[in-house]
Parts: sequence; structure tokens; C-alpha cells
Amino acid sequence: MIIETYFPSKKLTNTDLETIFPDWSASKIEDKIGIKERFVAEDNETALDLAFEASRKVLKQFDKDRIDFLLLCTQSPDYFLPTSACILQNRLGLKTSIGAFDFNLGCSGFIYGLALAKSLIKTGIASNVLLVTAETYSKYLNPNDRANRSIFGDAAAATIVNNSDVNNIFEFDLGTDGEGKDNLILINGGMRNKVETTYIEWEDEAGNLRSNNFLFMNGPEIFNFTIEKIPVVVNNVLLKNSITMNDIDYVIFHQANKYMLDYLRKKLKIPEEKFYNNMLFTGNTVSSTIPIALKDCKDRSLILPGNKVLIVGFGVGYSWGGTILEI
Amino acid sequence: MKKQDFFSELQKALEFENITFSEETNFKKIDGFDSLRVMMTIAFVDDKFGKKLSAKQLFTISTVRSLMELIGLENFEE
Repeated sequence: MIIETYFPSKKLTNTDLETIFPDWSASKIEDKIGIKERFVAEDNETALDLAFEASRKVLKQFDKDRIDFLLLCTQSPDYFLPTSACILQNRLGLKTSIGAFDFNLGCSGFIYGLALAKSLIKTGIASNVLLVTAETYSKYLNPNDRANRSIFGDAAAATIVNNSDVNNIFEFDLGTDGEGKDNLILINGGMRNKVETTYIEWEDEAGNLRSNNFLFMNGPEIFNFTIEKIPVVVNNVLLKNSITMNDIDYVIFHQANKYMLDYLRKKLKIPEEKFYNNMLFTGNTVSSTIPIALKDCKDRSLILPGNKVLIVGFGVGYSWGGTILEI
Repeated sequence: MKKQDFFSELQKALEFENITFSEETNFKKIDGFDSLRVMMTIAFVDDKFGKKLSAKQLFTISTVRSLMELIGLENFEE
């Protein structure tokens, strides 16, 4: 599986955030949330632009004429219509005899993308899938929302999944619970509620600035969701693959925040040396955190050929999924 | 769990260094009780008592005593 990543050039550092929000502590952000810097797309730079750049990088290592399916995971499409994947096909100069579509998922997106890619290949519909995750949550954030501006970063990742990779993608455990819809949501701007031209801002009980025109995240409730669900997903993935945790060489969860990951690691009794917890220079890049982590691990030889890596994505929806990759 | 142990472990878990907790401590009036500290409280209660508290519940209480009531007073001894 070839993976390439792309980040916008503009950075937002913790020092920048301290300047904007004088009561906000840069060292606390780094210490507790585990983020020092995050990349932020320019005003005229969209998730599709990031997807294009990541794809260009990966296609330097793979003949683009062999790509026969394109999957784009994003919650920040260029337009409601047409499908951004169609535009990406055109911009990349991929063949027109391929399938392409967007799918709207966040933190679980890469897992679902692998499930889709595996299914397409196993059924003979495709042989070489270009799976791209691309997100610009920064564009959904209230400029006064210091908490979420500290957490989220923009990025894209492009992964080639082909015939020979599919046997190294094991069985999945997937799940969905729309009961959690209100805990990570952008209320206005879709078909349910129009964008308010004059919007109200209010401070909620947690001291967060809220407005229906911007993204809202209830961090503590999402934390509750993860500590309840993720141990179950891990167990299910191991069971479905008749594998124990002892057989797993490395674990990569969606990189949401350092504190949550630390807690999950301890709860699941995973040794530190087998567990990825790093978003120091990227922030939470939503559907790209897992491919970014996989690439980082490969580049730094934290994972080696033949290793079994447990990957689990979880978040907005609620949506979650896990599987094992043999590198 | 002994109450004194609960007070000191909760204080340590929430990283409030210069405050000694008691039942009457209004920990939410302490400067810095934000979403992250709510998460830390959820983690503490999950880890020590195996109990799930919602963010909404935690935002409605204020004293350490009221947190103990949410956890269940039967879990504590003098």
C-alpha cells in the first residue's frame, strides 16, 4: 500500500494561538492535547486542492493509467454537486473509464475507505483503487473558538490499494450510532438549516463559544463514547480475525488528542512502544490521521514488513471502524 | 474508597496542585475547570469506579460532594 500525504503551507502554531487568545496557554495545549502546530488551508485552498496534491505525489510512484477507481473521503467538498471525486479525476488526468465518488465521513473515513477498496477489488469491479482522504475543518471553525482551532489541522492523504494489498487487509468491524449526531456537528449550511446571515453566538456551560454557523464538538461526550466503544471494537476486530493482542505488532488509533489516546492505551493495556500517539505537528486531521500515522511509522521504521498493525478510526456520526493490516 | 483518598486522587487527577480538596470544595469554581478537566473527571470516575458520567451531569454539579453522590455514596467510606 503506497501512501503519500500533503499539508497546506500555512501553519498555526501554539504561540500564534497565545497571541490571539492571551488567556490560552501554549504549553498546556502541547502538554495535554499533544499539539504544537497545525496546518491551515488558505482561503482559496480547498480539501479538493489538498487531495489533488497528495494524489499527484502518490502517482509519481504508480502509473495513473492503471487506476480504475477513485474514492474521495471528505466533509468539505468543493460543491454539493458535482461530486468532488469527478473533478479530481479530471484534474489528475485519470482515465474516464473509471468509477469515482465522494463519501462523507470524518475520523472513521480511512477505515471505511479501505473496506470499500477491498470490496471493489474482491468483487472484481476494480484492481487499483486510489483512496484519498482530505479535510479542511479549519474553514468550519469560529475564529473565536480557541479550543477547536487548537485541535484541528488540515491535510490530505492518498493511498493506492491494489490486488496484492487486499490479502493484507484483514476483516473489519464497523459501527454507527446516530444518537451521537449532536456531539460533533455543523448545524447550518446543509439542507436541514440554512446559514444564518446574522447569527447568534453564546457561551455554553463549558465556556466554549458556540454558534450554529460553525462546527461544534462536545469533547467530553465524545470521550465518553470512545472509552465505551473502542475497547469493544478492538475486541471484535481481534475476534473476527482469530488473533490476540499478543500477535499485534503495533496499534494506530485515529489521532484525536493525546489525553484521550493515553487513556485508551492504558485502559487496553497496550505498551507505549506499540502505540502511536503523535499529532504534535499536524493536529487532528480527521480522516487523514491514520494514513499520516501509517506513513510516519513506515518512514521511521516503527512498523516493518510483515508486521500486523491494528487500526481503529472513530468519531463524528458517530461512526467507527477497525481492521488489521499486514504491512 | 476512603474519602480522603478520593479527595487527594481526584485533586491529582485534575492537576489542581495548590488546592486541598474536601467534600465542600466547589471544584468547578476553581479557575481552569474547562472541557479538558471535565474529560479528566470522566476518565477518573471510569478508571476508579467503572462508572460512566455524562458531560451534562458533570456540568450540573459543582461540589466534590455532589460528584460523590453521582458516583454513589455507597462507594465511599470515612
